[in-house]
Amino acid sequence: MTERVVVTGIGAVTPVGRGPCAFWAALLEGRLGYGPVRSFDTERHPAHVGAEVHDFDGRSAVRRLDPALLGRASLFAIDAAVQAVTDAGLELDEHDRQHSGVVMGTTSGEPREVERYNDDLRAGRGAHAGRALATRYPCHVLAGHVASELEFEGPVSVVPNACAAGNFAIAHAADLLRRGRARVMLAGGADAFSRITYTGFARLGAIAPERCQPFDRGRKGMIPGEGAAVLVLESFSRARRRGARIYAEVVGAGFACDAHHMTAAHPEGAGAARAMELALAQSGLSADAVDYVSAHGTGTPTNDRLETIAVRRVFGARSRQVPISSVKSMIGHTMGAASAIEAAVCALAIHEGVVPGTMNLNERDPDCDLDCIPNAARDLRVRRAMSNAYAFGGNNASLILASCEA
Amino acid sequence: MSRPVVVTGVGLLSPLGNSVEEFQHARLQARPSLRHVDWLELQGKPARLAARLKHEPVSVLGTERNLRPLDRISQMATAAVALALQDAGLTTRASLEEPIGLVLGTTFSGVRTIAEFDRRGLERGPAHVSPFDFANTVINAAAGQAAIWHGLSGLNSTLCAGPAAGLQALGYAADLIRSGQAEVLLAGGADELSAETYAGFEQAGWLNGALGRACAVPFSRQRDGFAPSEGAAFLVLEERTRALARGARILAELAGFGCAYDAGRGDDERRGAAALARAIEAALGDAGLDAQQIDALGCGASGSPRFDALEAQALTLALAARAREVPATAVKSAVGEALGASGVFQIVDLLAALAGGPLAGVTSLLEPDATIELQLVTDARSAKVARALVTANGFDGGCAALVVARAA
Repeated sequence: MTERVVVTGIGAVTPVGRGPCAFWAALLEGRLGYGPVRSFDTERHPAHVGAEVHDFDGRSAVRRLDPALLGRASLFAIDAAVQAVTDAGLELDEHDRQHSGVVMGTTSGEPREVERYNDDLRAGRGAHAGRALATRYPCHVLAGHVASELEFEGPVSVVPNACAAGNFAIAHAADLLRRGRARVMLAGGADAFSRITYTGFARLGAIAPERCQPFDRGRKGMIPGEGAAVLVLESFSRARRRGARIYAEVVGAGFACDAHHMTAAHPEGAGAARAMELALAQSGLSADAVDYVSAHGTGTPTNDRLETIAVRRVFGARSRQVPISSVKSMIGHTMGAASAIEAAVCALAIHEGVVPGTMNLNERDPDCDLDCIPNAARDLRVRRAMSNAYAFGGNNASLILASCEA
Repeated sequence: MSRPVVVTGVGLLSPLGNSVEEFQHARLQARPSLRHVDWLELQGKPARLAARLKHEPVSVLGTERNLRPLDRISQMATAAVALALQDAGLTTRASLEEPIGLVLGTTFSGVRTIAEFDRRGLERGPAHVSPFDFANTVINAAAGQAAIWHGLSGLNSTLCAGPAAGLQALGYAADLIRSGQAEVLLAGGADELSAETYAGFEQAGWLNGALGRACAVPFSRQRDGFAPSEGAAFLVLEERTRALARGARILAELAGFGCAYDAGRGDDERRGAAALARAIEAALGDAGLDAQQIDALGCGASGSPRFDALEAQALTLALAARAREVPATAVKSAVGEALGASGVFQIVDLLAALAGGPLAGVTSLLEPDATIELQLVTDARSAKVARALVTANGFDGGCAALVVARAA
């Protein structure tokens, strides 16, 4: 490995708070970020709860672009990116910006543009509908809008790998830095609350009626959410040279595809375990070195059981001792933003010496015999944190962050 | 380069056909596939020149296995992957047991499925949508479906970067192999022409006919917008030593890659040209080559008044006099703008010349734009090509360049 890649800035827009400080404080407090869906009418849906970002006015973050031309996920992404750049104290000249880029993950991009197109068709406005499908919808716009707004003109792409997308984005951005293709990268994920996504999860019967309870015996499902997180990544040498605060180092990532089923995980957690093992191998670490695991932990009966099996396969006897929590218990499943937000959680945990708990845990499921950090944050020295993310398509991605001792 | 990356297989579904031979033959015959597409008129939109697949993916996948869980874009990707694996000799059980990964570049992926899913929910109610369809509403569904069909257990990623998505997917994959994170990857892309994408382009004013001339010929003085198209196309990429060890046929080497972004998204000419020029310089640097060592240009030009001009300017900026000395072609003159599939189409278009054969020209180019300072090939001709430069830019601001070299 040529260059060490470190995290020097964090931005977040979540259902429990906006900005790295507010969001982190809310997670440590155990605040729940969901309630009755406001984005659209759920009268005909079997579920009614969602983890939405309320009172969001992303326009204030947008200076160069016209905010009226940006979709909600792009506004989340730009807001989180501007926060991250500010948090990192980045001051880039034109030449630096020409060699700095953006990689964003997402599940659905800007699905509201498709919804609006359909609403136009149904209202008989079809002849003039659809412009936004070319200008505001295509999957690349999340990274493109951030890059255009901040005038970053290096490598720019979106890796729309559903609920594991944030980990893909961070790993890809780190690779671009290591290969010398960029000087600074913004990497993260964003998704906006969507009728399409909500309807789909409702149809699968996956949405919990009231609360998200990962690892609990009575867990009833996930709660769809929305948000964004963006990390500033740069080389260790650059960060040290400019005296930046370093949250953590990106030490490894592992990816494996179940190649089994679009919406169901492998019954023995094979791909999930292989992704964790590959991430450990790339980091040059054994499972014993991991101090904290940020679980995918959606709160569906199947996910949490299979994730436990995979963790057991990798951690062996230590699987009952390694602390593991799911912030989805508080912010719901923010889709393509989720693993970016969870990477931010790992970076903050390493930097602050405290980890968020898994809320709403009344009685742990015997099938999930892990140290789930029940119901309250815990002081913990975290030198190495692993973040797991699993997605439709059988996509498994694990990321490892470590404290950055020079 | 410590670990050279070579191409050992090609699979494509295109408006010119489903095999490299068919594709190249049509190109050398200067046979365009663009025609006025009538079915789109049903959506209340005017007909423009467009291109659709010559053969549907079922002609490759057959009907023995259940195709129902796969939407059309997934079928297209799955079929192109099948052809690529077959071409590379990787269809045996043993070869599929090792983790083969997939990187799929796209602009719209399954937007038709997404829109139809939503319409069904609105019309019939949320209880009447199909879970099968929902699985295909995630943007990475086509890559996931192809992995399930073929048992691809390696890294599985979709990548979006506008018309540069295909080349960026190839660059991403090549970097993963070079850094030792992967051994064998399929890389390329797919996009489907649908009422949704057509409506978007048409309303945005990007299609041919925007100025009333219906000319989608790259670099033509008359060009007034691109011809929307579709396709799925993948290369099998492997580390060279490994490919040689298994006796694979090596078609070409991916010698260098570069990408950049135009924050003005085409609004500022100088800025747009400079961005693609940076991508080209990065690709040359990555390959350890200078401009003099490039023998041909495979342009991404599509008939867009603005972006064709920017591409030509960028080539002149980055290659100086060399840009005028070497033959330049543009495959989209024959296949239209197939977005995610375009990158591989551009490379396949150069394979014949890289193997010592002829270079196909810009189909239907009767009146070249005099401001384009490139040596545009109109009729297929012989050319000595050891290394070619492939470029892409377009409406989202993404820019990419790839150097493809003759198999050493």
